[in-house]
Parts: sequence; structure tokens; C-alpha cells
Amino acid sequence: MKALFRVIALMLLLQTGVAQEVDDGNALLNRPAERTYDIILESGYLKVGVYQNFPPYSYTVNGEPQGIDVELGKRIAKAMGVDFKVHWIVPDENLGDDLRNNVWKGHYLAKQRLADVMMRVPYDKQYAYMQDSTGEYMNEQVVLFGPYQQETWQIAYNPQKMDSVDTVAMFQYHPIGVEIDTLPDFYLSSGLNGRLREQVRHYANVEEAFGAMRDGEVSAVMGMRAEIDYQLANAKNSEFKHAGNGFPGINKQVWDVGMAIKHTHRQLGYALEDIVGKFVQSGELNELFSQFSLRYSVPQYYREFLSDEAIAQAEGRP
Amino acid sequence: MRLNRFGIRIAVSTLALAVSCGAQAVTDEDILNDANTPEDIVTYGMGTQGQRFSTLEDLNTDNIQYLQPAWAFSFGSEKMRGQESQPMIKDGVMYVTASYSRVYAIDARTGEEIWQYDARLPDGIMPCCDVVNRGVALYGDKVYFGTLDARLVALNKDTGKPEWIKKVADYQAGYAITAAPIIIKGKIITGVAGGEFGVVGKVEAYDAETGDLVWTRPTVEGHMGYVYEDGEKVENGISGGEAGRTWPGDMWKTGGAAPWLGGTYDQDTDSLFFGTSNPSPWNSHLRPGDNLFSSSRLAIDPDDGSIKWHFQTTPHDGWDYDGVNELISFNYEEDGKTVMAAATADRNGFFYVLNRENGDFIRGFPFVDKITWATGLDPETGRPIYAEGGRPGDPAGMDGSKGETVVAQPAFLGGKNWMPMAYSQKTGLFYVPSNEWSMDIWNEPVSYKRGGAFLGAGFTIKPANDDYIGVLRAMDPKTGEEVWRYENPAPLWGGVMTTAGDLVFTGTPEGYLKAFDAKTGEELYKFNTGSGVVGTPVTWQMDGQQFVSVASGWGGAVPLWGGEVAKVVKHFNQGGTVWTFKLPKDRVASQ
Repeated sequence: MKALFRVIALMLLLQTGVAQEVDDGNALLNRPAERTYDIILESGYLKVGVYQNFPPYSYTVNGEPQGIDVELGKRIAKAMGVDFKVHWIVPDENLGDDLRNNVWKGHYLAKQRLADVMMRVPYDKQYAYMQDSTGEYMNEQVVLFGPYQQETWQIAYNPQKMDSVDTVAMFQYHPIGVEIDTLPDFYLSSGLNGRLREQVRHYANVEEAFGAMRDGEVSAVMGMRAEIDYQLANAKNSEFKHAGNGFPGINKQVWDVGMAIKHTHRQLGYALEDIVGKFVQSGELNELFSQFSLRYSVPQYYREFLSDEAIAQAEGRP
Repeated sequence: MRLNRFGIRIAVSTLALAVSCGAQAVTDEDILNDANTPEDIVTYGMGTQGQRFSTLEDLNTDNIQYLQPAWAFSFGSEKMRGQESQPMIKDGVMYVTASYSRVYAIDARTGEEIWQYDARLPDGIMPCCDVVNRGVALYGDKVYFGTLDARLVALNKDTGKPEWIKKVADYQAGYAITAAPIIIKGKIITGVAGGEFGVVGKVEAYDAETGDLVWTRPTVEGHMGYVYEDGEKVENGISGGEAGRTWPGDMWKTGGAAPWLGGTYDQDTDSLFFGTSNPSPWNSHLRPGDNLFSSSRLAIDPDDGSIKWHFQTTPHDGWDYDGVNELISFNYEEDGKTVMAAATADRNGFFYVLNRENGDFIRGFPFVDKITWATGLDPETGRPIYAEGGRPGDPAGMDGSKGETVVAQPAFLGGKNWMPMAYSQKTGLFYVPSNEWSMDIWNEPVSYKRGGAFLGAGFTIKPANDDYIGVLRAMDPKTGEEVWRYENPAPLWGGVMTTAGDLVFTGTPEGYLKAFDAKTGEELYKFNTGSGVVGTPVTWQMDGQQFVSVASGWGGAVPLWGGEVAKVVKHFNQGGTVWTFKLPKDRVASQ
């Protein structure tokens, strides 16, 4: 009876699994496959880890993966001569958790499931070499590499409610929407000694915050620049504008975003770094961002050694 | 091969049939009277008040050394992790849950499996705090339990087939259920667990027969409660009267306060008692105010979910002193009068005795050796007197530097965590499984979350002493005196049970089921179960013999954290077994 039950349960599991995802883990030992560069080429596919429901970076339209990170993943796979396979990431409380669950160890509820490469991983040497209280390196199981974008903060506002946003002090008087438990949430809730706190409205994501702005609940929304740009490009938000204010007191004004692999897969890392570096410098990434109506900034990493002309080319400027 | 399997199938179903023939349905009466009927265990807590006190005395301090294993049952598969369940016993059948939302019915005489139910969990589910489950509820012909994807499941007690499945909350929004539900007056009542995703806690009652929602009560100020009459949703008052009294801005909308550990019930006052978790967000500087009803005990009317009273142990929590701990009803005599009291040992290190009729503070005292975040309790109100410099700093004010490290004791895992304590009606003492540890908290200079820069806190847990972390304590609720203590190298993470035979039982992460003299604390018995014990022991009588059972299988929250404590526990092996012991008949003293 139980054996039969198990067979049925397995069939259900197979039917409802996301069509695009591959499960190549070792079922017997309940652990993920050890997919080195050669094995990836041989298998004919690359599993690219991207966050679930995270426009404009990675999301689905009619069940098909889309977004900046998905497109970049597809182009990387194409350059390697293999197929693109999506690996959806449900975000945990911080980046360290996401790297453990998706890049080097696997989540304890899905031990066979790892991405070959994870996208949208901040590229930060200080983070990469962070030590814990006992002196151990906290991120020694992964390699952070291949920055492909620079990200920053942005506010969008409703010009019918506010003439302009000169400083964030305006939000002592105007309600502003944020995604809960993000830096904009903490920044505005504690900024100016808490004087903005009463005006901060919390939403599950930036898209919902824009919905609240259309309903007149909030006069502005703060988020990551690409998230804000993406919303502003949508016709239903056409009446809203980019704000030009600064964000005094935020320690991380800009940061580079790249990829992560397991530390034993460096050969894969070198190959990916090479591919992505060409996309950045040729202006291909800038074009990709334009297709999504997003602004593109070259990562700080490249600014250290590229000439002004080369940076201009990468950012599509004349 | 096929014939073989057919044969086994017949054998199994015959056994199920044989068991169910003598089985009676569990009634409201059985549940309310459970503490006085040692031949069965039909409530989580061995009685709705949660005292975990058995009136049995066949097994006692004189013959405990003769306690011997009767059978052991493996939960099977590779899911060997975090067995925090309390077994239930009815008509010779044990109903016990295992991690990963599994339920088993076992012949309590032989340890043979009758049925097994595995909840199918959705892909990509990310429960916050391990994969534990703490037990079932029994009522009528059904067995109930909550799942990691926040559903209530009702199974037929004889076949293990689901009769109904109800979604209590959305797991994708961060909700789960790990506690055993409680059944009062035909209603199955459950809380929800939730991480730091902006969830709002709630307690809900469902019709035990049909699974229809009867009432819902949010545990954060400002949210409307509802009762359901003939399918109509009727407003039943806003929790705390109105929004915004103790929260800034719209933070009450996402305030946390999840009642994830379930509740107890007191028939004398007709009240459910639920504890609530810490408020969110974690940074207390963002939410000035008491943040009701976070880190509180709530007395709830079982008929409509109204809040009768509340007592907040850690107002404006800044240390993650998740106040979910069980509130245990008990009576004591003072100046010739009976005091209707209830007691709770909080994560924050204080033990509280409350008047269970109105929630008034009677007395409170530390049950751990050291508390750094408060200098004491206000003798009138029980409100903590905060220590200067004891609150972790505001990361937003740090400007990217690490900031000052604040040392707080107890650590956020608490003076006592989820594991239930026990109260002996014979000795008048509470037996509290506690831990002595501190934490360092600082603001992480570099932190990221889902591709974005973030403000994170770093912390590490440290043992307070070189040679032990866990302490099982006998506490006198009238005086605050520690009558005896047993020190254990690893942190204690299992529940406690006590008996009229003057015994106190608990398990250790080192794998032992241990029994102590309830009066002196002398260790009288130990048996190694092969993996760490983080479950809660029970005892019952069957065929004139006294039995003891406990689930074994290391896991829970402790191994999820690193630092100094990891050094003590990292070599413990995981497992998944129910062990059952009995006292041979010829060892019972003649009466």
C-alpha cells in the first residue's frame, strides 16, 4: 500500500515540477551533481540561478522566464554552446543564505538542487573576504566574480502631489512607499532621527508600491534604480517621474553586481568572466538594458582600468 | 514479489482493523480530563493546562533503575533531523509526528506501524527554523496536525487517509505551522509561525469535523478579528482597539508577533493561552513603542477569539526575545487561599507568575544565572527595567562602520526556548529546561539581500561557562528559589515531564533520556537513544504497566547556528526514532 502511495506521490511531483528546471542531482545519495566546466559542456546545458518574481531582473511571463538576468544567462549559455536552463531562487534572509542554498551546499529541503552559476550577486571584495567572530572566512565556499552592472538607489514621484524631490526631507510631509525589509525601508524609517518614519508605507515589492502611488496612497516610491526605471517605463505609470535627490547617510550608494560559482568550479568562472567581460565592453549589455528601458552603468571594476572612451562605448554614449 | 506484497498489505489492514475495533472516539470530556487519565494521552501537554504531570507512581525513585526499552520505531527515509514531537496515546495506538510534516500511527504494544502519512510539501518552500513538528491533536475519529506549508490536515485515525486539508496561511508569504494544534469544544485551534518577512501573527479556530473556519484573531494591534456565522464573516473587534497606539507609521501592518508554539487551555477560566513572537523588523530603533502584542502572553476566549487580557514580557523587544513560551495554569495556597495562577519561563531569562483570571503580575524572578539587558522587573507591573547600554545599536546610525558590539545575556535562543517545562502537583515545583549563553550583536558593515545593499546585524552565541550550557532547574514559583539544578554540557532542547512517582524526565542532545529525583535533582537513570533527544517525553499506563516514550533525533534551531556553540554540538548525529520503555510488572512495589 505504501509502495503504491509512493509511486503516485512521485508521479504528482513530476507533473507539477516547473517544466524548465532540471533535476540532475543524485537521488540515491540525495546530493547535488558536481558539475564542473567539462561536465556542463558535455551535458549540453547551463543551470543559471536567478531570483523568482524579481522584475526587471528575473520573472516569468506565461510561464516563460524573462528579464535582464535571464537574458544575460541565455546569452552566456549560447556563447558556451549549451542550452540555458533556469534555476529559480527563493530569496532567504541574506545573500549568505542564498549562496549556501543555491551555489555550494543546497537547501536542507532540496539537497539535490544547485545552480551552476548564480546571477545578481553583489561583487564586493570586502564581502567576499569577510571573517566571522572565530576568524573563519564566511564566504570561502564560493567565488564572487564577473561584475556586469552597477546598481544604485532611485526615487520615483508623482508630480501632481509634489513639485520635485530636492531632498529626502520632503518625506516628512509626503507618504513614500518601500519594499518591506530592504535598505530603503530602514533608511527612511530611521533617517533624520526618525522624522520620516510616520510617512513610510510598506509593501511586498516595488510593483505593489507603484500600485499604491497610482491609487494616491503614496506620493513617491524608493527602490533600486532598475526596479524604478522598469516601473516608470510602464505606460500605466507614465505620469510619474524620476527624482534627482541624493541619499545622504547611505553607506552603499552604488555597488557592482556580478555572479557566483562554487569555489571548486573556478574553470567555469574563468570562462564566464571572459564571456561577460566581452558583453560589458562591447556595449551589448547596455543594449540589453535599453531593450528593457533601463539605464546601464558600467561596474566600478571596469572603471579602474578602462579608458573614458571605452567606458563611453560600454555605456552606449557617443 | 507481488504475492509477497499482497500478503503484507493484508496483514497491515487486519492489524488496523483489530486496533480500531476496540477504539473509542476522543471526546471533549477526554480532552478536558486528560491530566487525570493516565491510560491515555490525548492532549499536547498531558492535560490542556500543559503541566506535563502524570499521576502514575508505579514507576518511582525506588525502581526507576529497572526501566527497560520495550521497542523502538524508526521514522525511516533520509529525513533524520529535528524530532521535537510529543507522542499521543489512545486505545493502544501511538500517534506521533516526525520532521518534514510526517505522521505515524504505531501499535503502542509492539512498535509496529499501522499507517504513515507524508504531507507533500511544495517545491521551493523555505521554512524559517528547520523542519520540525511538535505533535498531533486527537478528536473524534480524526488525527490533526499542521504542516510546514501552513496547512491543517485532518486524517482518519484508523487509515491515515486525509479527511480534509485547510490552508491556514500562505507559505510563500513566510508562514508555517510546526506546533501541535489544541482542540477545545469541538474546535481545532492553531497559531502560525513566520519569519522576518513582515508576517502578522494570528490564532484561528476551525470546526474539527468539517474544517470550516470559526474565528480568526490577529495578534498585532490594529487588525480586525472575525467570527464566521453561517458562512458570513462578521467583525469581532480590532485587536488592541485601534491601530497605531504602540507602533509608528504603518508598521503594525507587518508587525510579526507570530504565535508559533501553540497554546494551552484552562477550563477554570475558560481561556486559551498563547504566546507571541518578537516584533518585526528586528531593528528596534525603527519602531519606538511597546509594539503590542509582540512578545506577550494572550488570554483568548475559545468561543469567539476575543482577547481577554495580555501580559507583555519584553515590550519594545530589541534582542529577539521571542515570547512564545507556554503559559502553564496551576493553583497554589497562600494565606489560606487558593491562588489561580499561571507561570511562564520567558526567553528573556525571567520567570513570571501571573493571575490567570486577569493577567495581573504576581511575581517574577530570573531563572538563569545572569541577565544583562534588564536590571530587574517592576514589582507592581512586571515590566522590565532596561539596563543602560543593553540595547543593540541602530545600524542606520553607524555610517558603514561595525559599530559597538553589545553583549546580551541570555542569547536570542533564550534562557528557555520552545521546549516545554513541567509542573509537579506533588512537589509544587516547576522543572525548567534552560540554557546559559550570551550573544554578541554588532552592525555588519557590509551586507546584501536579494541583489541589493542592506543593513544587517551580525551576532554570535557564546556559552556562558566552559563546561556546560544546559541547566535543568527546579524552581519554586512562590519564592523564586532554585531548589536544585542539573548541568549538561550541550544546550538542553527537549521538553520535560514529571510524575507522582517523584521523577523528572528530559532528554539531552548527547542522546540520553534521563530521569531525576524531583525533590533532590539526583540523576537516577539514563539511556542513550542513539541520537540527540529534542522531543518531549510522555508516560502512560497500558495493560497494567507503566510506559515511557520519547522521540529521538538531533536537530532544531541549535545546529543551524555557528560560533562557539557549534563546537559543542557539531559531532552529534542526526536520527529519527521513537523509543518506548516499560517497567516490568514484577518490579512494581506491592501496594
